[in-house]
Amino acid sequence: MKVDHSQPLEYSTEQNRLNILGFWIFLGAEIMLFGTLFTSYFTLVDRTGDGPTGVEIFEIFPVLMETFLLLTSSFVIGLGIHAMRLGNKKAMLTFFAITLLLGLGFLGFEIDEFIVYYHEGATLQTSAFTSMLFTTLGTHGAHVTLGFFWGLFIIIQVAKRGITPETANKSFIFSLYWHFLDVVWIFIFTFIYLEGMTRV
Amino acid sequence: MRELFPAKQVWGFILSLVLTAAALLVYFFNMSRTIGMTIFIVTAFIQASVQLVVFMHARETDDSKSIFANIYYAILIALVTIFGTLLCMLWGWKY
Repeated sequence: MKVDHSQPLEYSTEQNRLNILGFWIFLGAEIMLFGTLFTSYFTLVDRTGDGPTGVEIFEIFPVLMETFLLLTSSFVIGLGIHAMRLGNKKAMLTFFAITLLLGLGFLGFEIDEFIVYYHEGATLQTSAFTSMLFTTLGTHGAHVTLGFFWGLFIIIQVAKRGITPETANKSFIFSLYWHFLDVVWIFIFTFIYLEGMTRV
Repeated sequence: MRELFPAKQVWGFILSLVLTAAALLVYFFNMSRTIGMTIFIVTAFIQASVQLVVFMHARETDDSKSIFANIYYAILIALVTIFGTLLCMLWGWKY
């Protein structure tokens, strides 16, 4: 294996570089996936039938908490990658652990939000609007849940094997995924929640 | 300790918080739909770019061009899907 020491560890071999490029292409597909979900949501947002509208069920506090938790977790995992580049394993693992805890906090608020919606009579079957709302939020939430377990295994692997070209590459790719979840959340926060709450 | 908090990323985080707060202005203050949507679009896309460039290091590698070509293409497809659908389904475009 040819290791290029002029590059950060996660880019240091040909395989590593290609893994990262390949993951960016996957993220491109994810952008299109969420694009179709937003398409359906925007098309069906006014089709509320007998069910509640967005402005009736959305609440600002949990949404702000979710936004703040995910935004902070995205910043913290960035610090984790920075610590990894410095070769500081302990700091890296601490930042990764904080990231996952913030992710869990996000999921806690989101699950609680879904339970509240359910009790207010908004379920997956209530109307076209609630169907697309839960599908879009749920797809993002499922990504965060998957990311939590992925991150957990990354932490275990780095703790066991240390920072090597291989584990650094995996950690970096995981960080791309986690930042991407925050990017998607920015659009959900703005164009589903804020837009929904300011709709007249 | 200080070396663990690079200025670029700290500023990126602060900028993200400020942009979130800017989008919230639309919620707290009464303003027209056009101005509201403009603020939403501007803040959301700047924030997404901050994530890509500051946190995801999209510019730092030799593959940068391929990465951006791929991302722009994906965004184009997503926007065409969204606005194309809105055009026929909601805005009443007929041929």
